[in-house]
Parts: sequence; C-alpha cells; structure tokens
Amino acid sequence: MTVSPEIITESRVDRARLRRLPFLTAVALVVALAVTVAVAFGSLIAPHDPDAQDLILGASGRSAEHWLGTDDLGRDVFSRMIVGARAALLGPLVVAFVTLVIGAPLGLMAGFYGGRVDGAISRGADLIWALPALLVAIVVLGVVDGGYWLTVAVIAFLSLPHMIRLSRSATLVQARLPYIDAVRALGLSGPRIMSRHVFPNVSPTVVATVLLDFVGALIVFSSLAFLGIGFEPGSADWGTMLASGKELLFINPWLLIGPGIAIVLTAASVTLLGDWAYERLSERDA
Amino acid sequence: MSAVSLSTPSSAERSRQDGSSLVVEGLSVTATGAQDTTRRTLVREISFSLEPGATLALVGESGSGKSMTARAILGLLPQNVRATGSARLEDIEIVGARERELRRLRGARLSLLLQDPFTMLNPLQSAFDTVAESLPRSVRRDRPRARDEVERRLLEVGVDPTLAGRRYPFQLSGGMRQRVALAASLAKDPQVLIADEPTTALDVTTQRDILELLAQLQRTRGMSLLLITHDLAVAFSVCDQVLVLYAGSTLEHGPSAVLADEPAHPYTAMLRASSPPANHFVERLEAIPGTVPAADSVANQCAFAERCNWARPICSATYTVAQPVGEGHASACIRVDEIRPELRRLGEAAVGEVRRAATSLGSASALLEVHDLSKSYRTVSLVGKSREVEAVRGVSFRIDAGESLGLVGESGSGKTSIARCILGLSAPEAGRIRLEGTDITDYRALSRTELAQVRASVQIVFQDPYASLNPRLRIGSVLAEAVQARGVKRLDTASEVAELLQLVGLSKDYASRRPRALSGGERQRVAIARALAIQPLLLVCDEPVASLDVSVQAQILELLRDIRRQRSTSMLFITHDLAVVRQMTERVIVLYAGEIVEEGSTADVLDAPQHPYTQRLLASRLD
Amino acid sequence: MLVYVVNRFLVAFGLLIVVSFLIFALLAISPGSMETTLLGARPATPETIDAIRDEYHLNQPFLVQYWYWARDAAQLDFGRSITSGDTVTHVVQERLPISFALAGYTLLLVLVVGVPLGLLAGIRHGTRADRVITTFTVVGMSAPAFAVGLLLLYVFGVELGWFPVFGAGDGFVDRIHHLTLPAIALALALGALVVRQTRAAALDVMHEDYVTFARARGLSRSRLLGAYALRNVSLPIVTSAGFILILALSGAVLVESVFSLAGVGSLVVESVTTKDVPVVQGVALMLAFYVIVINVLIDLSVMVIDPRTRYSVR
Repeated sequence: MTVSPEIITESRVDRARLRRLPFLTAVALVVALAVTVAVAFGSLIAPHDPDAQDLILGASGRSAEHWLGTDDLGRDVFSRMIVGARAALLGPLVVAFVTLVIGAPLGLMAGFYGGRVDGAISRGADLIWALPALLVAIVVLGVVDGGYWLTVAVIAFLSLPHMIRLSRSATLVQARLPYIDAVRALGLSGPRIMSRHVFPNVSPTVVATVLLDFVGALIVFSSLAFLGIGFEPGSADWGTMLASGKELLFINPWLLIGPGIAIVLTAASVTLLGDWAYERLSERDA
Repeated sequence: MSAVSLSTPSSAERSRQDGSSLVVEGLSVTATGAQDTTRRTLVREISFSLEPGATLALVGESGSGKSMTARAILGLLPQNVRATGSARLEDIEIVGARERELRRLRGARLSLLLQDPFTMLNPLQSAFDTVAESLPRSVRRDRPRARDEVERRLLEVGVDPTLAGRRYPFQLSGGMRQRVALAASLAKDPQVLIADEPTTALDVTTQRDILELLAQLQRTRGMSLLLITHDLAVAFSVCDQVLVLYAGSTLEHGPSAVLADEPAHPYTAMLRASSPPANHFVERLEAIPGTVPAADSVANQCAFAERCNWARPICSATYTVAQPVGEGHASACIRVDEIRPELRRLGEAAVGEVRRAATSLGSASALLEVHDLSKSYRTVSLVGKSREVEAVRGVSFRIDAGESLGLVGESGSGKTSIARCILGLSAPEAGRIRLEGTDITDYRALSRTELAQVRASVQIVFQDPYASLNPRLRIGSVLAEAVQARGVKRLDTASEVAELLQLVGLSKDYASRRPRALSGGERQRVAIARALAIQPLLLVCDEPVASLDVSVQAQILELLRDIRRQRSTSMLFITHDLAVVRQMTERVIVLYAGEIVEEGSTADVLDAPQHPYTQRLLASRLD
Repeated sequence: MLVYVVNRFLVAFGLLIVVSFLIFALLAISPGSMETTLLGARPATPETIDAIRDEYHLNQPFLVQYWYWARDAAQLDFGRSITSGDTVTHVVQERLPISFALAGYTLLLVLVVGVPLGLLAGIRHGTRADRVITTFTVVGMSAPAFAVGLLLLYVFGVELGWFPVFGAGDGFVDRIHHLTLPAIALALALGALVVRQTRAAALDVMHEDYVTFARARGLSRSRLLGAYALRNVSLPIVTSAGFILILALSGAVLVESVFSLAGVGSLVVESVTTKDVPVVQGVALMLAFYVIVINVLIDLSVMVIDPRTRYSVR
C-alpha cells in the first residue's frame, strides 16, 4: 500500500532552520541506525535464541530473564523482535531498490521523451496506481501460493507507479527549462542528457520517494504478515508476531506492543528522514 | 514617437480637501532568518510624502527594495520580514498596527495593485465576482445596486462587462486581467493607490494602454498614486515626482522634469544614459560596470560607490542621507556640486551622436535561408498558467554571412517557434530551412556528420539567465561540456574554458563557481560563452537582455557587439524592444501573429515604419 | 466537454471489462485442479466432479467460461459460496452494512478533524501548532492501521475497558460504541494523509499572489478563508480524496480483522484463505467496480470545481 500521494512536503522552506539537524530528525537517524544494526547482526545481539522453545513456560509476561516476555511456545519475544527485523525489512528494501532501479528511469524517460513513450508508460502507471495495493496483493497472493518472493514481486510491481509518477513530474519541470534545450543544441544524446543533467536535478524527489516507498512497502508487508497471507506462519517477523500477539493479548501484551512499536518507529523514522532529505537536497540547488 | 507626459493635472484636480497624505519617515525593512539569527536589510530609511492627488514613482532595479516598501505600507510583508520607522496615512500609524486596523484601511483608503496579472486574480472566480467582492459591504448587500456598480467600474477600466464579466481569468488576456484587477483594487474608492510594476508582465503595446489608463484614473478620481517601476522612462511619463532607490538606499528624489534633464546623482544619470535609444544608433553603449550589491554590503558607504565613474575614496567611507540640492530636489551624492556639469553633459553626449549603422560585413552568400516556414501548437491549458498558442504562418527570410538580423515581435508572434525550428528543437509543419546550403528542416533526417556540422554552426542564447544553466554543475563543467562538443581533447579543455571566460569578461576563477553564486548578468555571460564554445557561424539570441537589470543590459549588448566584431558571427536577434533592435541589427523583420508584416533595413523601418503594427510598437515607447 | 465525459465513461467501462477478465483468469493460475478447489469440502466422487464440471462449464474453452461468468456477474449472480453454500450476493449483502457504517464513521472523523487541522497547519505555517501537527502526521502515516487498531484495542478496550473489543453490536447506539475504536484506527492513517495534503495545499495557496491581492483589498477573513483558501485548496484535496477512499479499502480489511467485524474487508481475507473462489471473484469484481466509479467521480468533481479543466484547449 503505497502511502504517499503526489504532494509530499511543503513548497516553502526556511533555509536557515535546516542547516542544523532538527532534533526529531536526529532521533530518526538514531532509530534507523539501530534498526540497520538489528537487520545486519540480529542473531548476534539477541539475548536468547529466537527459536528456542520452552513449552513448559509457555506464554508469560515480562521478567528479568525475558525482557518482553515469551510467546505461546515459550520463545523470547525480545530476541524474536530483533531477529524479526531482517524478515520484516528485507522485502521492503528489495521493493525500494526495484522502484529506484526500474521506476525512476521509466519516469525519467516518460517525462523527457514525452509523446508515445510517455503515453504508454503513464497509462500503465495510472492503471496500476488506481488499484488498492493491499487488496490486490491479498487476492493474488491468497489465490496463488507463491511464497515470499512472489509477494515481493507483487508488491514491487504495485509500488512502481508511485515512483514513476513522481519522477516523471519532476522530470517534466526540468525538461522544459532552457538549460536542457541549450544542451540539446550542443548535440548531446538523450540518455546522456538524462543522466548528466536531468537526473541530478530530480534526485531530491527520487531519493525522498525511494524512502517513502520503503515505508509503504513495510506497511503492506507487515499487514500481509498479520493477515497470514504470503508468509510462512511461525516465522519471526513483526507482522506475524502481531497476529499471535492478538491472541495472547491478555497474557502477554508485549508480544503485541513490542513489534507494533518497532514497525511504527521504523516507518516514522524513515518517513522523517525522507522529508528531511528532500528539503536538504532541494535547497542545495537554490 | 511622442514624449507624452501622461500626467498633466491641473491644480484644481490636484488638491482634494478630502484626500489623505501618506507620509513615510525613516521606514526600514529587514528580513530576519530563523530564530532571529541573521538580518538582511532590504530598505534603509526611506522617507517621502505623498500629498493628496500627487504622483510619485519609486524607481529601482532588482534588489533595490521598492516592492518591499510597497508591501510595508500596506502591512503585507511576508512572515520573516519586519518594518521599522513610520508610515502614516493622515493620523493612522501603519507600522506596527494590528491586522484588524490594517484590514479597515486596505482597499478603503489605500490599495495595492500587484505586478503579475497572471497570478493576481483568484483563478476560480469570474471577473465579475472579483470586482463585486471588493465593493463596500453596504453596496454588496444590495444585489441590483452591486451589479450596476460592478458594470460601471468595469467600464471605467475599459472592460466590456457583458463580454468579459462572466469570464474566468484564464480566459482573459494579460491586459484584460490587469484592468479587472485595477477595477477590483479601486472598488472601495481608495485615496491612495500603490501600483507595483503594473506593466512589467505585459506586452509593450499593452503597457502603454494600461499606463494611460492608470494616469487617467488618477486624474479623474483625484487619488494619489505611488508607482513602483524599474523603468525611468515610465516614471518620468506618469509621475510628477521620482524617488530613485538603489540597494535599499535613496539616492535621489525630486520632480520628474528636473531629474529627467538635470539629474543630480551619477546613478540616475548613468541609468538614463545606459538605456539604449530607439531613434538612433550609438557607436558605443554606455554601460554601468558591475552588478547591484546587497544592501548590507554597502551599509556604511554610498551604495553606488563601487560602480560609480566619479567615485573617490570618501564615497566608500561615508553614508549620506539625501541632501537638498534644489527646490523639492535632494541627492545623496557627496560630490554632487562638483560633478553636476559633468552629469549634465553625460545626458547630452548620449543624445548628440547620430551615426550610420555599421555596414554589413558579409558577402552575398546566404548563411541561413528560411522559406515559407509554418508551425502550429496545441497546448492544453494547465492548472495555474495558461500557455500562449504560438503559430508561424509562411515566414520567409534570409541571413547573410556576417549579418545581424533583428526579429521583432511580442509574445504570441511566433518568434520563439522560429528560433526553435532553426535550432532543431522543434520541427516545423511546412516550409524549408537551409543552413549553408544544407537542408535542416527536419533534424532527424540528417546524417551524423551533417548533424554534427549543423550543431557546430548555430547556437542559441536564451532569455532567462536563471534557468539557462544547470544549477548542479559548476561553470567550468558547463563550459567544458560545450568545448568538448566541439571535439577538443581533455587536456586542452581547461585552457579553452579560461579563454572563453575571458572572452565574455569573466575572470578565470568563475570556473569553480556554481550558477547560484552568480548574478543574472554574469549567468548570461556564461550562457553566451557556452554558445560560443562551439564557435558557431550563427548565434540566435532570444531576448537575451529582457530579464536583466537595466544597468546590466547595456553591458551584455556591448559584449555581443564586441563578439560580433571579433568573430564576425552572424546573429538572429529576437526581441520586442525596438531600442535593442536599433543598436544590434542591420536589417529587421517585424512579426505579428505569425506573419511578417514589415521588413527592411533597421534604420528605414524604425525611422519610417509603414505597417500599422510597427507604428504602434514605436508609438508605445515612452521616450 | 461532453465528449470528454462520455470518453471517460467508456474508458471506465473498458477498464472494468479488463479487470474482470484478470480476476477470472486468476482462478486459472491458482494451484491444484479446478474441480477439487471448487468442490471444497465435499467428497470428490465422479458424480460430484461431473456436476461441478457442468455447473462451472469447465469443459468449455476458457473464453466461453469467462463469458458465462461475466454475463451472470452483470446480473449480479456470482454463484454460490463453496464454504457456506449461500449465494455470493447474499453473503456480501450481509456484510455490507457494517462496512458502510465503518466507512461513513471514518470519513466523518477524517473530514471533521483532518481538514481543519491541515488548514490550521498550513495557514499558521512555521508556528508551534504547525510543527506539532506535522509530527503527528508522520506518526499517523507510519502506523499501519492494524498496529494502531491493536494498540487502541489494548489500551482502551482491555486496560481501560471503555470500549468493546470485538463485534459490531446491535442497534444504532451500540453500533457506534462498537465501531468507535475501529473507526479511529482507520481514521488515524487516512487522516494523517488528509492533513498533510491539506496542509501542503494551504501552504501553496497562502503564498499565492491572489491571496496577497485579496488581503490588499481588505477582504474579510471569512471571505479569504472561504472563497480563496478553501476553494483553491479543495482542488488538490478532492483529487487525493479519491485516493484516500481507495486506501480506506485496504485499511478496512485490516481493521475489520483486528476487531473481528463481519464486514466486506474480512470477507476478502476469509474467502481468500479458504479458497472460496466464487466469493473471491464476486467480491473482487465488486471492489474493482467501486474503485473505478470513485475515480470517475473524482474526475468529474474536478471538472465541476475548476473551470479551467472544463475549457481545456485540445
């Protein structure tokens, strides 16, 4: 479910205020770093083995041994949360990468060449964009049992239009400016103009959109995991943990609160970083 | 070509007992950065008084602070901008007044007309509604009476209410929009009208009409007018009094007639002198070197000292407020008494020379031939801005080697389309274009070698210096790219770039700067350098100085002349400004609605225009 | 202009056909044989298999099958649910009221709270209020509806016990009581978007020349707010409103799941997990119809609001 509509951030910016890192953005950066560490070194820093079951203990609340309690199979919630970062974020990362590598060039071409190229790309993008991504994902993945990577492919496909639209509109603004005409008059080829002249000037939009696409994908992925679609049950993933957390609400609410907050914090931090990156990058061009 | 003074009020019309005086004293405007960390002066202690029925022009280039002064007087400054000092309308102090009080004043006692008619009107409201909403509440409530009033006021500004009343802004031309805005701003019959560059965004022919309308309304209503403009000629024509602003400081103020003939400040004198005349060719254009500084950088000195021909060390060390030098006439120049005779002679010198234009350096062979060119556009009107539909209909002309041809036209004439077709940026629907014998009508049909050769033969300089350079690249990279397009090897690029910079009058260290750090004039020089890097035979200049400050325009024009002299480059000079055409071209074609309506040598066409449109263009000039 | 409207409808209809075909084709990709899937829990005897083949025209070529299905669908006959045996239309009908009630409640919250907050943030740009509101939108956008729902459920349902934690209740007041938490959960994410959009639009509008000129003429604050701010802001809002209505679908699925509401959203999940093919097809098509209609309505609304789109030069 790609969350962000066309207008991302404010158009008037107080430049002096941005020179120093705002407090919230600094916090966001710290959170993002912490999450990155969890993704990279998850199993190394988790206090317990995330898969170690303790059927005698079962679900229990917080304790000195288990900081966030255990789930119904006696597994340590906190450890599963840390390890679950990788499962939760791998998909969104891949999706974000795909939108950058496929979506941005498509948008640039549509905006730069115009005409039939634009017509074809835009029409396709508009069609997909009009669909409610999560629903489509649910229907497709529920009917076709393709496993995790099919889920990634479907979400990536559904996330492309957002990047295409935004990079296209940013390109349209640039392509109309005289400096592009001047460089055309020098005889530079289309691809060269796009890479050397257009792209650097639309990069603020592209970077911000990649980050927001990541957030959107994260939300869709965790939603699907929660619903139990497209994921293997029992895996340590924030979404699946939330699903079982609902069952054990009265016994150990932390099974629910922990991963829930993890999702929200990660998403919020990346969104903030995306906003800040956009403002910083676009003010560079005065 | 009439030197019409658009305001000749009689003393009876002048003094209205019920009018209010606007007295501004020591008004300063500063912009503050976030958390009050940085302060930037925009206007420094401006003072003037506007009597009922009087007309005063605030003249200044960009960065002079004139628009901010207007906004300060209405209390409409942007969020981070503050005003100090005093601005009194009769007994009410505006600076520091509360929003509620200001709202009562605005529209009813003083009103502001903004610069851009294309963004001034609510796009979702008809012209009728825009005027109606501005009427006093008592009138608005009475529907039939309101309707009559709106019609009356639209007629007053020359708009047919039945025809245009129900139209939305995007369906009206720029001139019409400005008229509607004028009617709206006068709906409550204010005593003072502040007009901020009311004609800058309009075509030349419309400009004159609007200015005449303004002057007429000012007379019949007996209201006072504060006109903000960058154009001295406009100021002298419309207003009795003129105040010259430069980098936030007042340099001179006094009666128009006096400033026009006997300016008491070098800046005023040089500004007049650097405006190229349309009635004769000038051998060497008088330019003011340098660029307009920021107000803070000239805080403790004469703002103009750095660029002044008469500057002495004392000028860069002392700041003076304007001192009286005559009846109602004051100047901030310390040396005014010494240099007054020289200043007067400066004006005379410009008028005195009448010389024949340089004869064409070229042979009989045509460099560029255009036959029956036709091009039409379909533009969907986007939200916010409406695009002119340019069409070219069967245009034919030629440019010989070494010649400079002028293409005169206003917006919608098709001039830009022609330029784009020649450059291969657009393809015409019909007709032929030949460059050095090669048919370049369809660039896509050219072979690679032909294409390379053609690109090396013709280049273009655009109007907007702020969008002509890639904001991400350093100047050096911009020029290096152009130089390498010619096939120059990497090793030699740096020296070539340095040469180019020198050619356009910029020092070598400009190569490491970014466009952001350059002024408009400097950017335009870089754009010219880039166009010349490939050593073209034909240089197309599309309104190259229209977006530049007046004091900088002459510099760029003289630069282009120099380049022509040095390299014998042919030119296609596109402009709406007849003075520029006079100075820069030998032959000229006049374009109207996509067709050539007149052509001939520049001197002939400008001295004795045959076609009514050309005559109207000349008549629209105010000098 | 009329041409444009007709064209738009034709395009929408065409789109519906294409989507219906895709939905139908989805069935063919699903693993396992068609017959066993369609039989569901019933025993797979030769008789039942033949019966199934007949009922679903499985012996006919694919396109003919599609034709039968589409023809029936146009008459709102989607066959019977495999799990319950009930007609699909009936199954959906039972679920609709709850989903509608939820949607209405949510929309109310979003508009009544979201738009004014966004306007406030935009008009008072840079102030404390603006910064606080903006921070909350970031959080709102980052929290998936189900996470918020679960959180609300825990805090207000379990810990504080102010609201019930599942079901949709009976009777008007009871229903509102039951739907409050789900509606808030849904409204939070959508509301955040609306606030952001409104704020951005208000910011743009506030800096426009026509607002300055309006102020310069001494127009009243209410006039400025209404005819200038609101009307010009409504343009980008209406465009994103459609987008939000569609997003609401996805959110509703999650929220209905969390709060165990028997609405259309949870029907989607249930039918997909149980592979109740006729229901999946029926619901998917109905939702597609809903989405397409919304998009057309948005386009038409834009034309009504903005006179410029009515007269675009072709």
